Amino acid sequence: MMASIKNLAKSMDWVIVLAICILMVIGILFIYSSGVTSAGDIVSTEYTKQIVWAVSGLLLMFACVLVDTKRVVDYIPIIYGFFLLVLVYTRFFGKVVNGARSWLNVIGDYGIQPSEFTKIAAALFLARYLDRSAHEPSSFKRFAVSLAIVAIPMGLILLQPDFGTALVFIPLYLAMAYVGGINRRYLLSLIITGGITIVLTVMPLWQKIIVAKPSLLLRILYERPYVIYTLLVAVSSLVLSLLGYRFFKKKYYYGTAFASMIFTLGLGLSLVGQRLLKEYQIMRLVVFLDPSVDPLGSGWNILQSITAIGSGGVSGKGFLQGTQSHYRYLPQQSTDFIFSIISEELGFLGGIAIFSIFFLILIRLALSIRNIRNVFSSTFVSGIFGIILFHFIINTGMAMGIMPITGIPLLFLSYGGSSLWTICIGVGLSIGISARKFDS
Amino acid sequence: MGDYGEGRRGDELPRVFLLVVLAGVVFSTYASYLFYLQVIRGGEFQRKAVTISRQIERLPAQRGEIYDRNYNLPLVLNVDSFALLVVPAEIPGDMRDTVFAKLAVLLEEPLDEIRRRIPPSSYRMFQPLELESSVTQSVIVNIAERIDEFPGVSWYSRPKRNYLDTGSFSHIIGYVGNISRDELKIYYNRGYQTGDILGKAGIERQYDSVLRGVDGRQYKTVDVRGRRVDAGIRDVEPPLMGKNIVLTIDRPTQILAEKALGERIGSVVVLKPASGEILALVSYPSFNANLIVEKGGNNEYARLLEDTRMPLIQRTIQSSYPPASTFKTIMTAAIIEEKSIPLDETILCSGEINYGDRVFRCWIRKPGHGRLDLAGALAQSCDVYFWEVGRDKLGIERIVSYAREFGFGLATGIDLPGEVSGFVPTPQWKERRFHEKWLGGDTLNMAIGQGYLLTTPLQLADMMAMVVNEGVIYKPHLLKEIRDPRDGSIVTKTVPEVLLASSISKDTFKKTKEYLRGVVVEGTARYPVNTKAVTIGGKTGTAEVGLHDRWHSWFVGFGPVNATDPEDVIVVVAMIEASNPWEWWAPYATNIIFQGYFEGQTFEEAASALGLLGKTISAGARVE
Repeated sequence: MMASIKNLAKSMDWVIVLAICILMVIGILFIYSSGVTSAGDIVSTEYTKQIVWAVSGLLLMFACVLVDTKRVVDYIPIIYGFFLLVLVYTRFFGKVVNGARSWLNVIGDYGIQPSEFTKIAAALFLARYLDRSAHEPSSFKRFAVSLAIVAIPMGLILLQPDFGTALVFIPLYLAMAYVGGINRRYLLSLIITGGITIVLTVMPLWQKIIVAKPSLLLRILYERPYVIYTLLVAVSSLVLSLLGYRFFKKKYYYGTAFASMIFTLGLGLSLVGQRLLKEYQIMRLVVFLDPSVDPLGSGWNILQSITAIGSGGVSGKGFLQGTQSHYRYLPQQSTDFIFSIISEELGFLGGIAIFSIFFLILIRLALSIRNIRNVFSSTFVSGIFGIILFHFIINTGMAMGIMPITGIPLLFLSYGGSSLWTICIGVGLSIGISARKFDS
Repeated sequence: MGDYGEGRRGDELPRVFLLVVLAGVVFSTYASYLFYLQVIRGGEFQRKAVTISRQIERLPAQRGEIYDRNYNLPLVLNVDSFALLVVPAEIPGDMRDTVFAKLAVLLEEPLDEIRRRIPPSSYRMFQPLELESSVTQSVIVNIAERIDEFPGVSWYSRPKRNYLDTGSFSHIIGYVGNISRDELKIYYNRGYQTGDILGKAGIERQYDSVLRGVDGRQYKTVDVRGRRVDAGIRDVEPPLMGKNIVLTIDRPTQILAEKALGERIGSVVVLKPASGEILALVSYPSFNANLIVEKGGNNEYARLLEDTRMPLIQRTIQSSYPPASTFKTIMTAAIIEEKSIPLDETILCSGEINYGDRVFRCWIRKPGHGRLDLAGALAQSCDVYFWEVGRDKLGIERIVSYAREFGFGLATGIDLPGEVSGFVPTPQWKERRFHEKWLGGDTLNMAIGQGYLLTTPLQLADMMAMVVNEGVIYKPHLLKEIRDPRDGSIVTKTVPEVLLASSISKDTFKKTKEYLRGVVVEGTARYPVNTKAVTIGGKTGTAEVGLHDRWHSWFVGFGPVNATDPEDVIVVVAMIEASNPWEWWAPYATNIIFQGYFEGQTFEEAASALGLLGKTISAGARVE
C-alpha cells in the first residue's frame, strides 16, 4: 500500500497541483479584497470560508488521486442513480436561492449544490458507457444513449431552474463524446441544432428591443400562428426528403433531409425555450448582444466590469487599491466578477498570468490522455477538460463583456464550495488516471 | 479488466489534438482581447473610472385605487407618506452617535432599534438603507429644515394605503405589507425586490400585478464616491401608476348587508345570478385593514390571529357548514327531474320514522305534518318526506350526483385567495376514511343536508343561481373592470363565464322555483320573510351542531320571482353560526336586505319599515 502511494506520488502530475494551489491562493486574496471597502473596513468574511473550502478541496483532490477508477467502475451506475435522486429531492425540498430551488443545507451556513456534484457522476457514467459501447454496431444508438445520460440530469437541473449550472453539461458532453468516438456528424448536427435554437429563442425579444422595425419576413419564425405553418412546412419537407431518399437513393435527398431535420428541431426547441426561459434570462442574451439596451440592469454589470478591467491598465492599481470594486460598483465581486477585481488590481500582467495558468492546466490535462489506451479514462479526463475550459470561456468572457451573463463561476478562483469541490474531485480523479496509465 | 486493453491509438491522437488547439485558440483570442481592453483602451477606461459614473434611484409607482361598482368614491386611497433612507458611509464617524440619537427622537424609536437597522457592518456602505418605510410629512419637513444636521439622510415619496371603508370591506379588499423574505424567494423571477410593497390578502393580493404598476428610475451622475456631480443632468424614467380596479361590490348593498347581519358571527352573500357578479360579501367578525398596514401592524395582526372568533377568516368562502334544509332545494329538483314520485302523491309524516335501530325525528316532532306532497314538503321543510323519497326512490348515488351538479364539493373559482371547496361525501369515501359501510342512516342525514355534507355560503348562492338561471351557474367574481388611472378608460372588463351548465330540464327548474316561492308564501319562511318590496322565493335551513339549543341558521333566497329582466334578480344567502344566541336570524336578515335593495333604503329605513329595528327575535322553539 505504502509502496503504491509512493509510486503514485512519483508519477502524478505535480505541475497541475501546483498551478491549482496558486489559483486558490490568488482566489482567497481577491475574495478578501472584494470584502474590503474603500475605507479599508472588512465587510465580508467570505474569504475565511473560502480558506476552509480550498483546504478541504485540496484534501479531497488528493483523496481522489488515491482512488483507482478502474476498481470502482462497477459502482458508477449506483453513484449516478443516487445523484439523480438527490436532484429530484432538491427540486422539492431544497433551499431557494435566487429563484432556483438548488441548495441543500448541510451544516449551518455551509450549503451544497447537488447539481455541481452531479457533473462528476454524469461524467463517470458517460465514460463507463462510452467505454462499454465502443464496439456497439449502431452508431446512432450510441449517440442517443450517451446524450440521454447527460440530458437527464441536465433536464432536472433546468427544472430547478438553474440555467447556468445546466449549461455546463453541454461542453462536458461534447468533449467526452468527441474523444469517445461518437460519430462526428451527430455531434455537428447537435451543435447546429443548438445554435439555431438559441438564435430563434432570442429573436423575438431581439427584434422587439434592438431592431426598432421588426423584419416582416423573420416574424414567420416566432409569431403565432405563422410559426406553426413554418414548422409544418419544415416537417413536410423532412418527410418528403426521407421519402425521396428511400425511393431514389440520391445523396441529394440525404442532404435536404438532414437540413430540414435540423431546422425543424431547432425551431421546435426554440418554441419550447421561449416557454421555459424567463424573460429576464432571454433578456441577458439580448443585453449581451448590445449592453447599451439596458445600461442600468444587467447591462450595468457588464459596463462596470469592463470599466474595472480596462482601468487596470498594464500593471494594475495594486492589491486592495481598485476603485470600481471597493466603491462597490461591481456586483457579485467574489463569485461572477472575481476576474474583474483581479485584472483591475493586477492589470494586464496579472490577467495574462491567470490565463496562462489555466492554459497550462488544460494543456497538461489534454496531453495526459495522449497515450491512455482505454476509452473510459480518456473520455473522463476530456470531460473535466471541457468543464474547466467552458467555465473559463464563459466567466472571463463575461467579465470582459464578450460572453452573456450566466452566473457561472471561475473555477478555483470564485467564492463557493460546491463548484470548487466538484472540480477538485474531477481533477483528482484525472491525475490519478494519468498517474496509473502504465499500470497493469 | 480485459475491456480496457483495447487500443484505438491510430485515431486517438488527432482527437486530443483538437482539444489542445481549442484551448490554444481560446487562450490567444482572450489574451489579445484583454490586451486590447487594458493596454490599448486602458487610458480611456482609467479616466472613466475616476471621474464619473451614473447612479440609479428607484421611483416607486403609485398603487392602483379600488372602487365599488358605481365608480364614484374610491374604497382605497393612497396618502402621502415617505420612506427614510440613510447612506451610512456619508455619516462622518464622529457625528454618527448624535445623528442616530436625533433620528431616534424624530422617529420615536428606541436608539437601539436605530442601531440595529444600521449595523456597524454597513458603516462604510454607499448603498442607501431604508430606515423606515412610512414617515409622515411633518417628520420629513423637520429633517429638511435642518438637513445639515442629518448627513447621509434622504427620503422618497412612498404613498401609504388608506382604506376608507373597513369592517366587512377589509375582508374583500385585504391589505398590503412589505414583501417577506420567503415571498421574495418565490417572486424574485417576477421582478419583485427587497422593500417592495405587496398585496397580502383579498383583492390586494389577488390582483397585485394589476395594482402595483411599474417603478420608475432616476439616473444621477455621480463621482466614483457616489457624490452627485451635476444636479442639472438628470434622466427620469417616470413610474407607471398601477391600474385602478372597479369591483362588482355595491357599496350601499354591502353596508346594508353588513348591518342586517349585525354583530352576529356569520356571513351574507348577495349575488347577481345573471352574471355571477357579487354585490355584497359580508363576514363577521371583521377587522380594520388600516390597523394592519400602520406602524405596529404586526401586533394588531397577532391579536387578530389569537382571537378565537377568527376575524381574519372570510366566512363566505373560507368556512364550510352543513347546508341543512336548504339542501332540500336540490332534493326537490332531483325528485322532479327523476320523476321519483308523482308530484301530487302524498306521504304521511307522523313526526318520526324508525330506521335500523334508530328513531329519526322530523323537526316538528309528533304528531307530525300529516300528509304532504312535494310542494307541501318543501314549504313545511318536512324531513320525513325527503327521508323516505331520498332513501327509497332516489338513492345515495343520485343524491351525490345532483349535489355535484349544483357545484357542491367544487371551488367556485371566485377571485379571492383561500377559497375552500366544501365536501360531498360518498359511500366510497366513508369506506376509505372510516373503514365503515355507508348506512341507510347516512343517506337519511344527507337527504336533509346534515352529516358530512359541507358547503360554503357562496356555494349555496351558486346553488340558487343555478335554479334562477334554469341550468347555468356563472363564475362568481368581484372584478368588474380594470381602468386606466389617467383617463379612467376601461382596460379590461370581466365577461360572465359559465362555471357549470346542468343537463336538468328547464321545466324542472321552473317547477322548483314555483315550490321555492311556496316556502315564502305559505311555508316556513312565511312570517320572517314578509317584505312587500319584491316577490321572493327561497329556503330556510337550520343545522344541528354540537351546541345545546343552538343551531346554524340559513336562508337562501332569490327575487323577484317572475322577473322580466334576468339582470334584476338577486340571490341572497344569510348564514348565522350556532355560536350566537339562538334567534333564527338568517331569514330576518335576508328580509331586510331584500326590502332595502329593492326599495333603495338604508338598513335603518328598511328595518323600521319591516318593524325589525332594534329588535332581537327570540324564537322559543326551533323552526326549520
